[in-house]
Amino acid sequence: MILVPVTYKGGIYRHDEIIDLIEDLGGYIIQKHIIAQEVVLQALVPKDDIELIRKVGKPLTGDITPSPLVGTEIAVVTPSLEIHHLPHASCDVAEYIRRYGAKTNMVGLARGFGKRIAQLNDEERDVINEHDLAVYLLGDFETCIEQKFPVLRRGIMVPIVLCGGPPTEALKAIIDPPVEGYVGNIGRFMHRTKEADEISRLDDVVEEVTRVLDKRREEMAKDPLSISPARLMDIISEKVDEIHEVLSPTPITVQMGGLRVKLPYDTFGTVLRKTVIDEGVTIGDLADVLPSRMRDYILIRIKPFSETNLMI
Amino acid sequence: MEAVEYFEVECPEKAGGDYYRRIADVVLLDHNLIRVVLKLHIFIDPKVPLFVATGITRKLPGTVKVRDFADVNRKERKVTISIGDEAYLAPLLQILWERFGKERVEQPDRFTIMLDIDEGESENLEDIPVFDPREAIYKDLIYALQVIQPEGFKVRRQYYGNGRFYLVASEDTLPEDIEDIVRKKFSLMGESL
Repeated sequence: MILVPVTYKGGIYRHDEIIDLIEDLGGYIIQKHIIAQEVVLQALVPKDDIELIRKVGKPLTGDITPSPLVGTEIAVVTPSLEIHHLPHASCDVAEYIRRYGAKTNMVGLARGFGKRIAQLNDEERDVINEHDLAVYLLGDFETCIEQKFPVLRRGIMVPIVLCGGPPTEALKAIIDPPVEGYVGNIGRFMHRTKEADEISRLDDVVEEVTRVLDKRREEMAKDPLSISPARLMDIISEKVDEIHEVLSPTPITVQMGGLRVKLPYDTFGTVLRKTVIDEGVTIGDLADVLPSRMRDYILIRIKPFSETNLMI
Repeated sequence: MEAVEYFEVECPEKAGGDYYRRIADVVLLDHNLIRVVLKLHIFIDPKVPLFVATGITRKLPGTVKVRDFADVNRKERKVTISIGDEAYLAPLLQILWERFGKERVEQPDRFTIMLDIDEGESENLEDIPVFDPREAIYKDLIYALQVIQPEGFKVRRQYYGNGRFYLVASEDTLPEDIEDIVRKKFSLMGESL
């Protein structure tokens, strides 16, 4: 069964029927938002059943659209959280990627500004490495990007999509070794992106991110995970009651290769490790349960089939 | 930027220069400074690195005195000040409190201040300078230029006087001949420092 990431938007009336339907079909609800009279569901659903969900949702004014980034967590890295980059550029990009289903976190570096003085500390490096992909938003000058980018990428293991003011070709020429994705003409700016050509550049970012993540999915498919992250999320929310008391919008954040569980590691690390998935198989058997560098959260990295010889 | 008579961004990287032109435009507009600036020349060299902004302001309005925004009525020891423009009320109150003491300054409502003072003391009440817009504009202007400049340029020198202003900034120590560079930029605008 192939699960496809989709967004369902519809009225709040009888929306639980849609949730039940998706779950009965074997799909997973990743995130649910209720905004006034509207419900937005981000879900993974079986490819063959999309038409059925659309049919059931139609009388409830529901609409289902593909969102390629559902189930991914993306870091948007900016040199700092100062007025030079915020709210425009950084927030515009982060927000736009979010519309396609990704969970984006903004990482404002403590000392990422400047050409010679730019630095990346170990905490920032580790936090970025906990994501599926990092979007770097740098400035307008080739000279600066060329000099500072090697420092800012040091130790980053996740794919990087580099955005900057110079054209894409110029970015490709100055970055060595190459990164996974480039988007030019989107550097530092101080105004809101609302004109058509600016929006189309944001589309380019989403396209590039999708392309890079698709490539990563293909690679992961060669040695699939022992359990799908969405399924593991379902199991945790069913078996660990405390997760329902967490107030953050996504108490369990789904990533491509794991989960971020927003419970304190000291108390719940062992609990999660011992949680039974199926007939004597525990989470600890299939995944590494690690302390996250983000607050005191837990990071679960699911091991591939080749390591566990188990597939659930 | 039609309101600005001269506006140039000089940069060895053409694309970067164009971006900064737009940034400067947007920032000045957002900070309501377009009407204040008459000429502006920005020079950025990311290789050095150096940022120089030089410019000239329009003729700014003079100091605001009490007579410009309020009426003063005297009746023996009772002096009533009726406020026309609330914007200057707070600085005026500060001045009155300092001069006469809080116990002699009464404010029955938002638009009225009543003073209990001698005739001698109330003589030049209308001519008290309350607010100097030049000082505020200088601060706003320098702040706006700091927003325009590339981030990370922490070494700065700024100047404002006689309608001329400049801000130079860099990541490294400023070059020794910085004043000469600034003078050259002023001469490009057909002005002198």
